[in-house]
Amino acid sequence: MSADASDLSLVRRVQRGDKGAFDALVLKYQHKLVKLVMRYVRNPAEAEDIAQEAFIKAYRALPQFRGDSAFYTWLYRIAINTAKNAVVSRDRSPIEYDLDRSNTDESYDMQGRMKDSETPEGLVLTDEIRSTVNAAIDALPEDLRTAIVLRELEGLSYEEIAEAMACPVGTVRSRIFRAREAIDRRLREVFEGGLGRAEELG
Amino acid sequence: MNEELDSQLSAMFDNELPAAECELLARRLSRDGDLKARWGRYAVIGAVIRAERGVTLDGTVAGRVSAALTSEPVLSASDTAQASGRRLQYRWWQPVAGVGLAAGVAAVSILWLRSQAVPGGSHAAAPLVVASTSIAPATAARSALGNASVTVPDSFVVPPVQQSPMMVVPATELADYVVAHSPYSWPVSRGNLLSALMVSEPGTSSTPAGSDQPAPGVQGNAIQNPK
Repeated sequence: MSADASDLSLVRRVQRGDKGAFDALVLKYQHKLVKLVMRYVRNPAEAEDIAQEAFIKAYRALPQFRGDSAFYTWLYRIAINTAKNAVVSRDRSPIEYDLDRSNTDESYDMQGRMKDSETPEGLVLTDEIRSTVNAAIDALPEDLRTAIVLRELEGLSYEEIAEAMACPVGTVRSRIFRAREAIDRRLREVFEGGLGRAEELG
Repeated sequence: MNEELDSQLSAMFDNELPAAECELLARRLSRDGDLKARWGRYAVIGAVIRAERGVTLDGTVAGRVSAALTSEPVLSASDTAQASGRRLQYRWWQPVAGVGLAAGVAAVSILWLRSQAVPGGSHAAAPLVVASTSIAPATAARSALGNASVTVPDSFVVPPVQQSPMMVVPATELADYVVAHSPYSWPVSRGNLLSALMVSEPGTSSTPAGSDQPAPGVQGNAIQNPK
């Protein structure tokens, strides 16, 4: 089994003209990329702008991607370079965007518009998502919780988790899937039901 | 949605699904909105477990990227093929440039070594020794001829070349070598080499004393006077 088979299969589809496959890659890596960029810029809104730019650059450069390295490694390099360039150009610019944020606790994009992601609704939704997921994890049986945490937090492979939990790889796969399904059932209510839904489900 | 499909989706999200199954599921994932939404929520779950502070979880970036890409041209297999072709072109030049560079360095090194060796090196001394030693017997032979011309008017005998133990006559050895290996060499190059040896070293061009094979026009050590 290739370590990067799933990403590579999506990449090949994009290279053949399937933009929908690129959406899946963006959905999968958007949070990681924003987190990565935030090492260079403190402002979350600016980090999102840079992450967005990195994804678009990656899409345009995808014909050159051969699959010699993992897709995320390749994307990671693009994001780092984009972030560094953004920091350099911002430092040359006379406008200090961070000052706006520190003074008003709101963020603006390059054109001075308020960022959607930093609207009060966006922030509340993010908090609600967090609390819902954390509550769902706490409610999981021990074996499911251990499996999903080892996978997502520690980044272990199924084989490593199987060794750690002294069970077959197939069992690990099943446990992680069931843990995700249990969390997703509650999370879907938040996304589909809107704000306040999680509290009702509480 | 069936459980097996969801289980595959979860494994694919973790890069733990076999490649063949990934191909089929990737096709479905790119077209099925519900499946894609579930995939996105799996990413959100991971982000919360990793406690990625400051990261918004409502999928804003994905929405903006998707909107921005609507104006982008759709990629095609020909784009990828062109990119591969450009890479191959670059690859073709790399070894050629490497060989050219190596040849250039080698040529410069040889020229430099030769320029260093000529002024006082051992390569320059050897021909001088050979030349000086080869002139002496020729001079002796001429003086001998001058004395003998009075007593022997019709013919004369070429005095054998006095080879001192220290004297080196590489041309003779080379000539012997060339003759001995003549079946294995090209006739033209063999003739050129022999001619060069005879012209460059006249003192050693005659057949040495004791040789079994006389030179053309020579009977033993005697050269017939044309008169």
